[in-house]
Amino acid sequence: MLRDKLQSDPGFQYIIDALNLISAAGRRALLDFPFLTTPEAVNAELDNLETVIGVVSVTDNLHTVSEIKHHLMCLHDSQGTVANLSQHSVINEVELFEVKNIAYTAAAVSRSAEPLGLKEIFSLPDLSDVFSLLDPDNTGLPHFYIYDSYHPDLPDIRKRLKQLQARTDDPEAATLYADLFAQHNDIQHSVETKLSQQLWASADCLALAVKRLAYIDLLFAKAGLASAWNFTRPQITPAKQPAEDPQAIKQSSNQAIKQSDTQAIKQSSNQAIKQSSNQAIKHSSNQTLKQSSNQAIKQSGNQAIKQSSNQAFTQYKGLFNPRLLHRNQEHRLRYQPIDITVHPGLCLITGANMAGKTVLLKTLGIAQLLTQFGMYVPAESATVSLVDDVIFCIGDEQNEMNGLSSFASEIIKISEVVQLSASQRLLILIDEPARTTNPVEGKAIVQALSDILISRDSFSLVTTHYSQLGVPCRRLRIAGFREDLVGAPLSPENINLFMDYSLVEDNSDTVPQEALRIATLLRCDETLIQKAQEHLTNQQ
Amino acid sequence: MPFLKNILSSRSLSIVGLEKNTGKTVCLNYVLRRLHELGVSTAVTSIGVDGEQTDSVYATAKPEVTLYEGMYLITSERHYLQRRCVSEILDLSNQRTALGRLLTARILSSGKALISGAAATAILADQINHFKQQGIQLTVIDGALSRLSLASPTVTDSMILATGAAVSPNLQQLISKTRFVCRLIDLPEVEPAIRTALSQASSGLWALDSDGLAHDLNIPSVFMLSSANSDLFRYGTTLFASGAVSDRLLKILAAKEEIKQITLIVRDFTKFFVTPEVYNDFVRRGGSLMALRKSHLAAVTLNPTSPHGYALDSHTATQALSDALNLPVYDVMKIER
Repeated sequence: MLRDKLQSDPGFQYIIDALNLISAAGRRALLDFPFLTTPEAVNAELDNLETVIGVVSVTDNLHTVSEIKHHLMCLHDSQGTVANLSQHSVINEVELFEVKNIAYTAAAVSRSAEPLGLKEIFSLPDLSDVFSLLDPDNTGLPHFYIYDSYHPDLPDIRKRLKQLQARTDDPEAATLYADLFAQHNDIQHSVETKLSQQLWASADCLALAVKRLAYIDLLFAKAGLASAWNFTRPQITPAKQPAEDPQAIKQSSNQAIKQSDTQAIKQSSNQAIKQSSNQAIKHSSNQTLKQSSNQAIKQSGNQAIKQSSNQAFTQYKGLFNPRLLHRNQEHRLRYQPIDITVHPGLCLITGANMAGKTVLLKTLGIAQLLTQFGMYVPAESATVSLVDDVIFCIGDEQNEMNGLSSFASEIIKISEVVQLSASQRLLILIDEPARTTNPVEGKAIVQALSDILISRDSFSLVTTHYSQLGVPCRRLRIAGFREDLVGAPLSPENINLFMDYSLVEDNSDTVPQEALRIATLLRCDETLIQKAQEHLTNQQ
Repeated sequence: MPFLKNILSSRSLSIVGLEKNTGKTVCLNYVLRRLHELGVSTAVTSIGVDGEQTDSVYATAKPEVTLYEGMYLITSERHYLQRRCVSEILDLSNQRTALGRLLTARILSSGKALISGAAATAILADQINHFKQQGIQLTVIDGALSRLSLASPTVTDSMILATGAAVSPNLQQLISKTRFVCRLIDLPEVEPAIRTALSQASSGLWALDSDGLAHDLNIPSVFMLSSANSDLFRYGTTLFASGAVSDRLLKILAAKEEIKQITLIVRDFTKFFVTPEVYNDFVRRGGSLMALRKSHLAAVTLNPTSPHGYALDSHTATQALSDALNLPVYDVMKIER
């Protein structure tokens, strides 16, 4: 359910918080919204949303839409009351008011929505009998009390109560008043009991009406946000074929890699030697041959995984992170949307510090969640393959309350990812795994994680600063730092002016080493940078 | 018909007490009865929960509020179901209190009820506004405990201050404490131009220059002010504290050489959290105080009996308090009768 994913990422919560839900029932419907995992379910949801977006975008409909929203505004969160009726409980006059309110709102929304002609979305149960029962004086209003007409004795008792109330200084009148009021309350309770019994049969219809009204509220909120923030409808790729089960993928991928090994080495060796001639001057030609051969294995292996995944892919053009975009707009900073295509298997993301690797992972996660909660996504265009779950492993997972260190929390989460991905197709987003431990073991952990994720059916995106991992997988590098973009002096505030956030395919097994360069441009302490540079030179 | 004419021009009225058991509910009952007799359309609610049938602190009997036909009421679900009057539910709010959701009802036949409204002044202000839009002439808010915040002119137009022997059994102390609060309520109001200039000042300490322009002194909270702040008067000696004013601020300002030129503007009297001693010292040294908005004090009422059993002489106490405040003071028990 959506409530379970709210804490996944602040950027996701930011979008959810921006949904302009009018009723408490609508908010509950949002939080209870299921994570949809079949193309049929997602498409059905997106079809409804597209229809509503179409309706709200027509100027002539604005009055009708506003009228419907006004009715929804009067809807209360009456889940508890309806549940009480379902359980054949006697409900009090406040709850009877709620029931009348549901019947009134359902009728009002149906009436207002008639000109829109959206019978399927606005199909609400007929609760006119319920309303009539709770409106014995035919006021046509949603107000409620135990009307005189419900019981033959009530008018007289109330008349006498009024007379006694007027005798404020008479102690005898006060006693009589108390006795009579007790009698009045007994009659009220008997009326409540009778009305409740008559309403028990309508409990299911009332529950359905609340659910539908809440859903209409939710659809309007989703539509409003999608229009206001320029979101787009994602196309959903067909469901994965049976052959795509994780085991089959693993087998076919391994087989494909093995088959392509020999051929790839042969084909690429000569080419690689040519391409790496400069490098070959420095190193032995054997070593170069070995390296380039490995690279060829990776390329062909990656391709093999892609092919074996039966066209499953997720692709965004102009993907943006709304929270970041709005912040940048507020500070008049530029924002660069990105294009990306991801396939099942592992994709390593590299790039300089501050190049936006983490933001990329978060944005991909947000777009996937939005899709599978039946919403439009922040992109120019999107094609999305559905997953069983989205796993974020981003940021400091340290949980001091559990006495776990950053590393312990992270490795436990990674371990869960490894286990879950064996049986499910996931979107796995891991930001710089093992960065909080020593680099020797850290690198080994990343290598092991990569070895496993490469053959899983999940879409795994892992950012890293480790070079020479020797993992045969796809690599994407964020183009990164470009001083030529602007001539202004660099500062933490304007660094994004110097960044090219676009993604480029990267066939090398090295990562950009720009940390000291950026530190220098940010005018960090000169001694610190100088000493770091000396150490670096010594190591080389 | 004491002081009713003073509140009829207002759209909202708060009844606040300096202490518990100063007779707020008795006063409220008087006001509601008179409003009913005058045919004024009225809505009633309270701030927070102060509507137990028995006073939870002193276990003394607590009078219910008498509501009259045609009046509107906002109270909690629980207290609504306990009411002893006939009324019709008009609306149910999603705002919850410890006693359930808040609901709005219209009284169909006079009777008694306990009132427990929203705890936040912002919600009360919304409710008052809603009733105004519905054409209700006056919304009356029963105060809880000794909360003065709802008497802020940003919430209610007029206020009735309830005091009494519960504040102090010693008449002189009672007069002194009540007079101090009345002095704060009675602070002079700034010119409209100054109010406009300071409308942007939402937090911290500000200064007004000689042209009447407001400048942020970049002191996010007056609690962060220290005596070391030497350039406090770089724009002039007229300062505006947008939030609470404490003893600390007044002491720092009183110690400045420029004290005789200093005018400290506060948002309204409810923002003062100062002791009479520090306040008096600030004024004695030459400092001036003003309010962005002044509260309209419609009446001061006195309950001569304390919950502990001792009672002041009604006539002597009301007369002495009236002389000290230079305002009419009413014995709440007598006016109700």
